[in-house]
Amino acid sequence: MANTTTWTGSDSYLCDPELAQAFHMSRVLGMPLLIEGEPGTGKTELPIQFAKDLSLDLFVYPVGSKSTVEQFVAKFDHVKYLRDSQIEVLNAQREEKGLDTKLSTGGRHTENLDDYVMLGPGAKAYTNINSVLLIDEIDKAPREFPNDLLYALSHRKFVLPESGREVEVSEDDMPAIVITSNREQELPTAFKGRCIYHYISFPEPELMKEIVGKHFSNIEEELVQRCIQLFYQFRQLGLERAPSTRELLNWLKYLRNFEVDEALAKIESREGLGVLIKTQSDMIRVKRNSY
Amino acid sequence: MFQSLPHHFREHDLVADVRTLLQLKRAMQKGLVNTLGDIYVVLKGLVTTDPADFGPFTAAFYSYFLDVDIKRGEKLDNAILRSEAFKNWKEELLKDQDDLEVPDVRELVDRFLDEIHLTTFDIQKIVDGAEILKQDDPDMADTNPQQESDGARTIDRAADYREVDLEELLERLERVAKQQKGMHEGGDHWIGTGGRSPYGHGGAAMGGVRVGGGGGGKMARRVVGDPMYYPVDTKSILKDDNIDAALATLKGIEDETAEVLLDVPKTIKEGLKQGGIFLPYEKEKIDHKVQVILMIDNGGYSMHPYIKSVTKLFSKMKTRFAHDLKTYYFHNTIYGGAYSDVRRRDFVPVDKIIADDKNYSVFVIGDADMAPYELDYSSLGNWQKIKKHFPRIAWMNPLQARYWAGSNTVQTLRQIFPMYPLTPDGIEKAVIRMNRKRKFHKKN
Repeated sequence: MANTTTWTGSDSYLCDPELAQAFHMSRVLGMPLLIEGEPGTGKTELPIQFAKDLSLDLFVYPVGSKSTVEQFVAKFDHVKYLRDSQIEVLNAQREEKGLDTKLSTGGRHTENLDDYVMLGPGAKAYTNINSVLLIDEIDKAPREFPNDLLYALSHRKFVLPESGREVEVSEDDMPAIVITSNREQELPTAFKGRCIYHYISFPEPELMKEIVGKHFSNIEEELVQRCIQLFYQFRQLGLERAPSTRELLNWLKYLRNFEVDEALAKIESREGLGVLIKTQSDMIRVKRNSY
Repeated sequence: MFQSLPHHFREHDLVADVRTLLQLKRAMQKGLVNTLGDIYVVLKGLVTTDPADFGPFTAAFYSYFLDVDIKRGEKLDNAILRSEAFKNWKEELLKDQDDLEVPDVRELVDRFLDEIHLTTFDIQKIVDGAEILKQDDPDMADTNPQQESDGARTIDRAADYREVDLEELLERLERVAKQQKGMHEGGDHWIGTGGRSPYGHGGAAMGGVRVGGGGGGKMARRVVGDPMYYPVDTKSILKDDNIDAALATLKGIEDETAEVLLDVPKTIKEGLKQGGIFLPYEKEKIDHKVQVILMIDNGGYSMHPYIKSVTKLFSKMKTRFAHDLKTYYFHNTIYGGAYSDVRRRDFVPVDKIIADDKNYSVFVIGDADMAPYELDYSSLGNWQKIKKHFPRIAWMNPLQARYWAGSNTVQTLRQIFPMYPLTPDGIEKAVIRMNRKRKFHKKN
């Protein structure tokens, strides 16, 4: 039985109530949770922290422009298969010539096709009851990828290549599946229909303070206050690339290396903003606007 | 059970069908639904597929379950204030507390929202919170009057259905949904703190427990997705994020190149069949590419109101088809050619435009509205030439479709080009047609 208790975050991860509800719902219903939202809002962190907190097995599939369902489910290792079959021929020849020593195939048998099927993260998660599966940045995938995934997600079943073995999981044992997307391309409607959809909205300043608190246990209140204030100010400038939570945290990480006074002075003189602002024209706007 | 729900949600341009109902039912069986707030959360996860859906979804939800109809452009608060459900709820509330002065309207709406969006999750929090309070200091709840003035939310009788069995709950939900539509008997409705209201259930155990923070309708408003809770017009002229959606439907042209690759799996398989004699098998490398030509009417006053949406589309196209995008500019219509620069200085004759590969997808963007004499015989001839060369072509018109009939030149150009409004919907239709054309084109 998969874990279906409500999870509201851990010591190092703050999960806002709506996300916690959506995540809970997806696990109870055995449906994947599709998370969209601005970069740096902790989409990928959710399953990682969840698995860590409850010490569950985590399987990650980072999606790229060349991703195929084959990599995600399972691949047939043709080269190993070839090697082993050649070894069998060799061994037969050696036997004919009266040699005892045999070459090893590492316990694999060419008759047993299953030995050559390399399970991908998808199939691994399905065979590991009560695990967590993260499909990261699905929007980077080629267009067919989400559609190819549909079958597996809605039927809870994979068919392994060549061997034809089926990997099936019951509704109750479904791993917690989290799919993240940065909305670089729109996903097919049918695909979204199979998922619980959640959009992470950008955290409010108060929540942001809590998030910062989770990451840095002892940090000067004054520094955090000033940084967050400026951070939201920058975000409102309508920059080409608005700074995200991740960048705020990096900024604080950098400033923490200094004495408070020194750090505050650095902030006021707009030093070290490169960690926050990522394009030249944005930097000019920030420097011009933020006094 | 809720048979009319999919239909109702579809009317708000949302995707809902029988599967939605089945999933909702499954969620109920699994104990996910105990309050109206839960239904909101569950349905939202099931029905919405985009942040742009949140507005319509909230509108559909309020009108279906509470008979609160949000008019176009109206704010949720105002719609609630107009509604019968709110009036009844207010009456009930004030009946119970007639010794108190009437709270501010705004505050009432906040409380109304809080009650609607109260979820099992919140109740759990209240219960947990109560336990923590008890452990910490049994008297704290009574001896800390400051907290009360803090705007902390008090729920007299929490909306908890956990004690009600499923059958009864379903029945009740249905009855209430119907009742909200028809007669409005005082008290016997969804929201209310009093008597016959479903919210009276299981309250005793949680009486007087305070919810820390998030009071004053704030939590509910966050759930509703402020500032996205105004109904969004999905047929609106292109905005930043829905352009992507529309363009994503533009499918690549399968290009079989001369490059050949070794087909490893086949080579090995066949080799094994041959008893270990491996003959190389080859396969052609297939590439996908999308080539786009944009022709933009960037002149004159008539196009002025649409500049923003057109440039937005243009920049999206530019990032998406960085290598295979060609752009031409013209004013109202073309005479012998178009220009390759924004200021319309570098003239490119039509013959040169159509020298390009006919696999290009061509989008002409313009309002097609001009003085009839401007669209003369030679200009029409040029358009026809372009249309003939590029089978995958569409005219995207930022002018709203209902005004098309009022312009002669629009009518004329429509006879040459398939014309679509410059909306996500329109782009998608144009692209679907282009993709169809390609197959046809390939066969010949």
